[in-house]
Amino acid sequence: MIEINRRKLLVASAVLATGGLVLSTVPAQAFSPHSEVGVTNSSIKLGVTLPMTGAASPGYNKLPSAMKAYFDYVNANGGVNGRQITLVVKDDQYVPTLAVAKTNELILKDKVFALLAPLGTANVKAVAASVNPGRRGIPTLFVNTGYSGFANKKAYPTTFTLLPSYIVEAKIIAQYISENFAGKKIGLLYQDDDFGSDALAGFKQAGLTFTVKVPYASGTQALPTVPPTWIQKLSAANVDVVILFGVSSATAAALGTAAVMKYAPKWILGSVGGDATTIKAVGVPAGVLYGATGASFLPATTDNADEYVKLFTTINAKYNNNAVFDNNVMVGMNTAYVAVQALAAAGKNLTRKGLIAAIEKSGAKFASAGLVPLNFSTTSHVGYSGYWFGTYGPSGDLKPNGGVYTVYTTDSGTGAVVKSTYKRPAMPADGLPTQS
Amino acid sequence: MRRFAGSYFGRLSFFIVFGFVLFLASNRVDELRVYQGATVAMYVVAIASLILLTGYSGQVSLGHGALLAIGGYSATLARNHFSAPIWLCFVVAVLATALFGAVLGTAAARLSGPYLAGSTLALAVGLPSIANQFNILGGEQGLLFDVGAPPASLGADFTQYKWYFWIAALAALIAIWWLQNILRSRFGRTWRAVRSNEVAAELAGIHVGKSKTLAFTVSSGLAGLAGALLAMTISTVSPSAFPLTLSFALLTGAVLSGVTTLSGVMIGALVLVATPDIADAISSRFASSENVTTNLPGLLVSTLLILVVLLVPNGPVEQMRTLRTRKSTKKTR
Repeated sequence: MIEINRRKLLVASAVLATGGLVLSTVPAQAFSPHSEVGVTNSSIKLGVTLPMTGAASPGYNKLPSAMKAYFDYVNANGGVNGRQITLVVKDDQYVPTLAVAKTNELILKDKVFALLAPLGTANVKAVAASVNPGRRGIPTLFVNTGYSGFANKKAYPTTFTLLPSYIVEAKIIAQYISENFAGKKIGLLYQDDDFGSDALAGFKQAGLTFTVKVPYASGTQALPTVPPTWIQKLSAANVDVVILFGVSSATAAALGTAAVMKYAPKWILGSVGGDATTIKAVGVPAGVLYGATGASFLPATTDNADEYVKLFTTINAKYNNNAVFDNNVMVGMNTAYVAVQALAAAGKNLTRKGLIAAIEKSGAKFASAGLVPLNFSTTSHVGYSGYWFGTYGPSGDLKPNGGVYTVYTTDSGTGAVVKSTYKRPAMPADGLPTQS
Repeated sequence: MRRFAGSYFGRLSFFIVFGFVLFLASNRVDELRVYQGATVAMYVVAIASLILLTGYSGQVSLGHGALLAIGGYSATLARNHFSAPIWLCFVVAVLATALFGAVLGTAAARLSGPYLAGSTLALAVGLPSIANQFNILGGEQGLLFDVGAPPASLGADFTQYKWYFWIAALAALIAIWWLQNILRSRFGRTWRAVRSNEVAAELAGIHVGKSKTLAFTVSSGLAGLAGALLAMTISTVSPSAFPLTLSFALLTGAVLSGVTTLSGVMIGALVLVATPDIADAISSRFASSENVTTNLPGLLVSTLLILVVLLVPNGPVEQMRTLRTRKSTKKTR
């Protein structure tokens, strides 16, 4: 026994020593490459993490193909400054720890130039803490979450938001309620994490009080026993109006269970979960949605008079296998659209620093389908900050109340909710950004 | 010389040389490999903990993920609420989990076979979701665990992942070295005696229950260390960081390493880290469906597990040893 150990140890030590010597002769890898990571003369590589499978995936898993479709359209028209855009998609199942692992892969293995539209408040937060794109100078563009904290430039120096923050949304919903349902009893369903607490902060600031607040833990919406408990609590409180402020799958579960339990208050759907295709896809009858109130910052998907809707519908038909044209497709394409503007604005000599500077400098003037202005500046990394309200039709499509987009805007601070006078500029020719 | 190599100091110097090689390696490979190296070190500790429990003391645990969770959460709480220095967080993780293991081990010593497997499994399912019940544990979203940036004295080019790797590798080296020594001590011999034949061990004057509980406690302490290392590499703790699949992966890693000996512990850890990469390479070449990409690593690991159990039930290291012994007996004949 001792002899085997001795031989083994000697051999192992010899191998180790040789290995050590060999390693010490290899030159250390240069970590500062000559050109920017993820960019060549003919290509730009972007990466995204989001739930493609799992409880939270319905609806959101349509985003990458929509983003890719717009990129394909741009690529077919010469790309951005001659560079073709590719998007690497990683499935994080809406699990923060997976988001960290997958973002590591994107940065270290796929070597992407920038992260585009990573989804989920908890996920983006975990990634910021662990992978820390901020410290590495990696742009994290247009995160697909409305958590107001991401606008903090100090904590997230390379992060830009696009969606209006949950605080903004809550304040505007509170305004809508005070105009339309004053004195009524209000109930709320919300996700029990930073996504929900951001909304709670907004409602609190707007002075909206709830008769009942029902929190749910992310993921539990997929358990058959959980959604009925929400409906029981809401119905026991005898509220007139219920705000559903959760992800699409949770909103669908709530509406579906309510339909089965014959519970029918006035529903107001938050923008995150107010996605009719997802709701219908899980078998909830469209009738449940009919008459519910929803909010959006993009034109209605059925608004064929809108030039962006027209453009995106055409691109959807040609590059996205003619997928059902819903709000997810709209959001995906619009995000890609704004990203292309940013890449174009950063110029021919594309660097991470240059991209961030370009958004800060000219981001407020980027063309987009949004009916509310973008707020990018050297001091602000905030995208949209407003909503219009609409009503879901019998087929589940959201149409603006009274046939006109009445847009309200506000900020994540103490600012008042005001009716916006913003006029969206005309779309650049063929929906392609002007290039430097 | 002979005495030196097999001795206490021989082993110690082996670990020091190995550590030095790791140190050199960490300066030469790219960041992804360094990060994966930290994960390998974490798995080494976790799998060693399982091998100690299963291979040396004969107790089965299907719920090691739960013990890792306790380690991860206790390190995080120590860090976030008492601003404990990072080394202390790891000590706290080891002690807290060992304490939990001692309590659990007392119960476990009375269980055996499928009953023990079942109850540890239940623990793995249930324990992490406790976090959803108490605000201090951060719910599904979890808590951030930040070990901090590497000391400035290491230079501006010293990356965060290299820092993780240094911490994890050092922790793993110390843990395995210590474990090697304890396994060669009276305790190690007692555990093996109990595993081989409880009645014979008891006749020889060994307190079987005590011996089993002690093994469980030591194993838990190591699992706690692994949990804290896991929390460090992903910077968070949350119920989803310690899923049932983690427990199964560790068990698979232990089987691949060979449950009866500690010397193959690196094999299982390397396989667990490499599998997602291999699966990724396969799925990106042959399939584009997300479901394939998501499920392929699990499929690969399971296939490997079945193959190992069928072909080399004692693990590759033990198998090689047997082959060598056979060869040498043939020669003498």
